[in-house]
Amino acid sequence: MKCKKCGGKAVINMRQHNMGLCKDDFLQWLPEQTQKFIEKYKMFTPDEKILVAVSGGKDSLALWDMLNILGYKADGLYIALGIDEGISYSSESQRLTEEFANARDLNLHIVNMASDYGTDLPTLAKETRRGRDKPCSSCGLVKRHEMNRIARDFGYDVLATGHNLDDEAATLFSNTLQWNGDYLIRQHPVLAERDGLARKVKPLFRFYEREMAAYTLLRGIEYIYDECPFAVGSTSTQYKEILNQLENEHPGAKIHFFTKFLSAKKKGLFAEPTTKIVPELHICPTCGQPTSGQDVCTFCRMMEKSGQ
Amino acid sequence: MENTATIVLRNQKYEVKAGSTILAALNKLEILPESIICVRDGELVTEDVILRKGEIIKLVSVISGG
Ligand code: SF4
Ligand SMILES: [Zn+2]
Ligand SMILES: [Zn+2]
Repeated sequence: MKCKKCGGKAVINMRQHNMGLCKDDFLQWLPEQTQKFIEKYKMFTPDEKILVAVSGGKDSLALWDMLNILGYKADGLYIALGIDEGISYSSESQRLTEEFANARDLNLHIVNMASDYGTDLPTLAKETRRGRDKPCSSCGLVKRHEMNRIARDFGYDVLATGHNLDDEAATLFSNTLQWNGDYLIRQHPVLAERDGLARKVKPLFRFYEREMAAYTLLRGIEYIYDECPFAVGSTSTQYKEILNQLENEHPGAKIHFFTKFLSAKKKGLFAEPTTKIVPELHICPTCGQPTSGQDVCTFCRMMEKSGQ
Repeated sequence: MENTATIVLRNQKYEVKAGSTILAALNKLEILPESIICVRDGELVTEDVILRKGEIIKLVSVISGG
């Protein structure tokens, strides 16, 4: 297969764009596209301070790498969750993240569940009813809380995550299967700042997962290849496989599913609810973050019960 | 079985016919091309390349959960 730009040997075929690219052109194209979508969706400007949530996985490291190449001021945040379960998942991903940051002289914040809160994710998940069969929901809660905390404490304007198109399409698929209206209304590559929470952006939302894997490989970025042990067999992985089957038969199915959802929303095809589905927010007396409950937030309650 | 190439995905090894494309081998093995990228001698290649006798193609799984 030939590169669409220079006629050289293509290393990747992006059937949804009907385009194969060689190494050099792909490594130029991806950051250029990222820049284009950062501007189009007004994600952030070069003057703003960006905090990138890095997990040691391919997407977040690739995102941090590109923001750096594009000249943005982006620091990293790694949250050490203490998920080891026999494969040293967390310690290995932390090592790779630190190596990445050191090699490029980038600034990395590390939150450590063990030393900061005296617990770890597997323990938390076992202790809470919501987490017992679903560590991911406790994990999501912890990550959101800690990202917001670091962003606020260190004065970041915007929080960037490495969600790619496959992640977004799988989430959309899940929310659609359940007609999760409040999530559908809110699912967007940019969430404006509100109630003292930083703006949240997903600069990779247009790229397929395999493009991100290709980028990290071509850039020689070492990332954690093993999946989180709790992700194995998860519904989001199942949805990704189903969407990939569709994509295989109909190239572009995934990107259309998501981008047509965004344009339908823009045209007002998803109306704001007539009854209030978003609860009023209060400030958690312990951590100061907005919460829907009257008392301490779920995160602080979870931490009170655990550890310390 | 001389005329074969090897495809490796995680801990799995598959012997496939040399002389046809990676894509044909993937279809036979029921591996979705969307879910992987192919590496030959450390270099990324597209699925339309022809498998050479005796070579090893490493597949990198691209799906990550969480
Ligand atoms: S798979 Fe679940 S538990 Fe593992 S890192 Fe992702 S959200 Fe957390
Ligand atoms: Zn080219
Ligand atoms: Zn709190």
